[in-house]
Amino acid sequence: MMERAMEQLNVQLSRLTRSLRRARTVELPEDNETAVYTLMPMVMADQHRSVSELLLNSNFDVNYAFGRVKRSLLHIAANCGSVECLVLLLKRGANPNYQDISGCTPLHLAARNGQKKCMGKLLEYNADVNICNNEGLTAIHWLAVNGRTELLHDLVQHVSNVDVEDAMGQTALHVACQNGHKTTVLCLLDSGADINRPNVSGATPLYFACSHGQRDTALILLSRGAKYLADNNGITPLDLCVQGGYGETCEILIQHHGRLFQTLIQMTQNDEMKENMLRQVMEHVSQQSDSHYQRILTSLAEVATTNGHKLLSLSSSYEAQMKSLLRIVRIFCHVFRLGPSSPNNGNDMGYNGNKTPRSQVFKMCARQMEVETVQKDECSWTGSAVFDPLELLWHSLDEWLVLISTELERNRKNPSSSSSSSEIASLLLKQREVDHSGSEPKLPSLLDREAAMETEVYADGEDVISMTASRLSAVIQAFYMCCSCQMPQGMTSPRFIEFVCKHDEVLKCFVTRNPKIIFNHFHFLLECPELMSRFMHIIKTQPFKECCEWFYEHLLAGQPDSDMVHRPVNENDILLIHRDTIFRSSCEMVSKSSNEKLKQGIAVRFHGEEGMGQGVVREWFDILSNEIINPDYALFTQSADGTTFQPNSNSSVNPDHLNYFQFAGHILGLALYHRQLVNIYFTRSFYKHILGIPVNYQDVSSIDPEYGKNLQWILDNDISDLGLELTFSVETDVFGAMEEVPLKPGGTSILVTQDNKAEYVQLVTELRMTRAIQPQINGFLQGFHTFILPSLVQLFDEYELELLLSGMPEIDVQDWCRNTEYTSGYDTQEPVIQWFWEVVNSLSQEERVLLLQFVTGSSRVPHGGFAFLMGGSGLQKFTVAAVPFSSNLLPTSSTCINMLKLPEYPSQEVLRDRLLVALHCGSYGYTMA
Amino acid sequence: MSETYDFLFKFLVIGSAGAGKSCLLHQFIENKFKQDSNHTIGVEFGSRVVNVGGKTVKLQIWDTAGQERFRSVTRSYYRGAAGALLVYDITSRETYNALTNWLTDARTLASPNIVIILCGNKKDLDADREVTFLEASRFAQENELMFLETSALTGENVEEGFLKCARTILGKIDSGELDPERMGSGIQYGDASLRQLRQPRGTTAQNKQQCNC
Repeated sequence: MMERAMEQLNVQLSRLTRSLRRARTVELPEDNETAVYTLMPMVMADQHRSVSELLLNSNFDVNYAFGRVKRSLLHIAANCGSVECLVLLLKRGANPNYQDISGCTPLHLAARNGQKKCMGKLLEYNADVNICNNEGLTAIHWLAVNGRTELLHDLVQHVSNVDVEDAMGQTALHVACQNGHKTTVLCLLDSGADINRPNVSGATPLYFACSHGQRDTALILLSRGAKYLADNNGITPLDLCVQGGYGETCEILIQHHGRLFQTLIQMTQNDEMKENMLRQVMEHVSQQSDSHYQRILTSLAEVATTNGHKLLSLSSSYEAQMKSLLRIVRIFCHVFRLGPSSPNNGNDMGYNGNKTPRSQVFKMCARQMEVETVQKDECSWTGSAVFDPLELLWHSLDEWLVLISTELERNRKNPSSSSSSSEIASLLLKQREVDHSGSEPKLPSLLDREAAMETEVYADGEDVISMTASRLSAVIQAFYMCCSCQMPQGMTSPRFIEFVCKHDEVLKCFVTRNPKIIFNHFHFLLECPELMSRFMHIIKTQPFKECCEWFYEHLLAGQPDSDMVHRPVNENDILLIHRDTIFRSSCEMVSKSSNEKLKQGIAVRFHGEEGMGQGVVREWFDILSNEIINPDYALFTQSADGTTFQPNSNSSVNPDHLNYFQFAGHILGLALYHRQLVNIYFTRSFYKHILGIPVNYQDVSSIDPEYGKNLQWILDNDISDLGLELTFSVETDVFGAMEEVPLKPGGTSILVTQDNKAEYVQLVTELRMTRAIQPQINGFLQGFHTFILPSLVQLFDEYELELLLSGMPEIDVQDWCRNTEYTSGYDTQEPVIQWFWEVVNSLSQEERVLLLQFVTGSSRVPHGGFAFLMGGSGLQKFTVAAVPFSSNLLPTSSTCINMLKLPEYPSQEVLRDRLLVALHCGSYGYTMA
Repeated sequence: MSETYDFLFKFLVIGSAGAGKSCLLHQFIENKFKQDSNHTIGVEFGSRVVNVGGKTVKLQIWDTAGQERFRSVTRSYYRGAAGALLVYDITSRETYNALTNWLTDARTLASPNIVIILCGNKKDLDADREVTFLEASRFAQENELMFLETSALTGENVEEGFLKCARTILGKIDSGELDPERMGSGIQYGDASLRQLRQPRGTTAQNKQQCNC
């Protein structure tokens, strides 16, 4: 009796200690809801002893569903891979096919997470493998998604239908293909999955593999005889590969279906396909072998020719055909430049052994051109056969231009008819426009009749030119691209030059009638100065703005990924500048950076400051350019009126001066390249030097007005009897000592006479303006041309160059006010804003510059006025934002977005006071406000 | 997405000015008669996908200017044409007399295997006829041309003209007389066969092509 009592006590004690040690009761709570949350963590940790102990004497319902998704403990065990608990629960009668709110069984969860043992046990306890969840997914879908081939292999034997579809009609094979699980795909195929099964939208396994560029999977499917099927919208696997730029998968498709090659080529005409993706795919396919390379190019050339012909057909859409042609030709040239694939991967029979490396071909070409220009057609290599189809197009182009030149000739012979016909043609054209727009009233009926009578003429003579000019010019552009891609970089193809010379008259006629053609299609002019000179007189009459756009379009054309606006800045590429030694530290940083990096973008940070971004870059250019003309460096001297600068002829006092001039050229070139304005105005003559325009005596006036006047006087008056006793020499002041410098060999003994005075004036001018500073100019240009090619900048004259470099000198408050935006509560009606503009109007010009600098980081207004103010990512107008007022709060700014944060001051006086304090203390320097 | 067809044929429409070439093309493509048509400048272009003998064929048709001054330009479009409509006006002896010249151009400049159908257009203007059916059909026979009289106004025989030409080309492909893979044949494969058939017949073509490269 005693013993039994002791025994009981011991049991109770041990329970108690266990309970205490685990800090909980060993009894399971009565109600299922509380009990299940006690058990769940144990199940998750697979503490099967505890669980079993707790379940031992309780009435807990093992199938009790809980939580938001109504899962049972068996779900939890399967999900977490708690195999011991799983078995325990199953033994206690848990339902292996219990579905939670989304229809998932424990088997689904085990499959999703790859719980192999759990799956095995569930199957032992007769879990149904064919149950679908609410989305129609079964266990094999889950395994296929994640590529769990081994598990799938075991499970698939229990599956009644391996092609079971989910709600979207997708089978396990679809999802495995999409994710590129090769072994899973093989396993499913071996288990009898339907290789061509379409889902509800008609997408097959091959379609899925292609949509994600799963090359190997596509290969498996194709080698097992998968059909090439489009989806219900007609989108084919090849379409998908090209859309994604999956060159390797394309290659596989073409390998199995040879005809897709043509389809691929034809896709270049489809403007829905992205050019860079097409290029990527063509690039890959072309590099498979030499014969692929040749075939791609030949086929592209054929498509380009057809498109060129379509473009030359007047009823086609000029825009669409032009874009299509140029796109195809760009891709063609890109692939051609790549060259055939590396020679070591080919026992290609198709290509005869006569492989000449490209560089040698060029050398050969160059040499041959020198020796015998007649035979330059011979200097083609085996690869140029790929251009053959295009010859058809060039032939048509040539015939068209010849035809037009004949028309021109004919019109010249009977000018009366041509002028009347062209008038009528222009009237008709106008009328056509009216008809098209439809909104305007029709022209008087009289004119209608007259026009109808002249329709014959309309289709004649002059207006053939106006109707074909743009189309032919686009083909010329394509021709130039094809000619250039056969030449080494920077060389113009002699064939093209010959072509332009041959059709000189017609081309000039085109651009005279429609100067836009130059900007749209004659990009070759910017690359060949020798051709540019022929059109220069026409270009010079074009609006500055359009020349500007053309200039930048071409300047930035070579930049990769120009569509990527925001490029993350590499910490190493930041120019870290010391504000107090800005000249030297900038010089050091810039010379350390590679020119290519600087072209891609500039990031500047001032030592000890946090500010970064476009505003800081702008400020850097602004202060640095001002520092370059600092008299302490003796690099530049002021003009007579003190507002403009040019190189100092005595700059050699600074021993490193030529390097500094090169640096100055770098900075100016860089500023122009990135559309940044600088805070310097040069003399007219120095702008001419940059442009390579000869100077004349009037330019002298800007640095020495008195001397300029004297030269003018000599030219204006008869000097024969004045006894000036001038010779062709000049005395120059070199640091106090006078030196006599001859203007030409033996000049000291040649007298200036009435007859040769013009030469004298020119030579004196050149000496004063050019020869004296030639080394400085050369140094400067050397730096400048690193970023801006001479052929490009010659587009502009000296006035335009000043505008480009330095922006507009004066601040127009009205324009400023017109182009200002307001945010966070301000608008034009707000008193604070009206006060603000009244204050700005009352500021001095200098203070306005300070304000502009405070907000935008630059003291300059861009060309075109405030409407063209640039921010970190494109145009960004001057903006005033409201800030709640508290006493003594100063205005602040965000220079990246040209934003002035103006507190809501109580009166105009306070506003003016605070604004001026901010301007005078804060227009330089950045701290995070 | 990309158009579906089995073959693409390049077609020409040639003949003297005013024979009604552009109207034929317009009628074929738009099923309408073009009332106020001007002289064609250079070369115009149109296309239509047709069904011939169970195959879908895209006809890419180049309609040339008949005027003498455009001769040199239009000639540069001849190369690589698979078929041609040689058009004259039954009410104009002059257009009929010029046929020999056009024919020579087509046979020398386009591919030698070019399939040509002779079309006596403006059949609706029978009252003004200057060229008899018999005479023209004899000319066609002598020159191994197919022959039809057409009316771009009523649409009579227009469709037939193009289809007949296309059918003949298909026949030549089937008989092996024409090889679409050959450069300048004026024929291209489309991918329609791939999209529908079980196994692409292209595999044979592909093998052939691999060994002749």
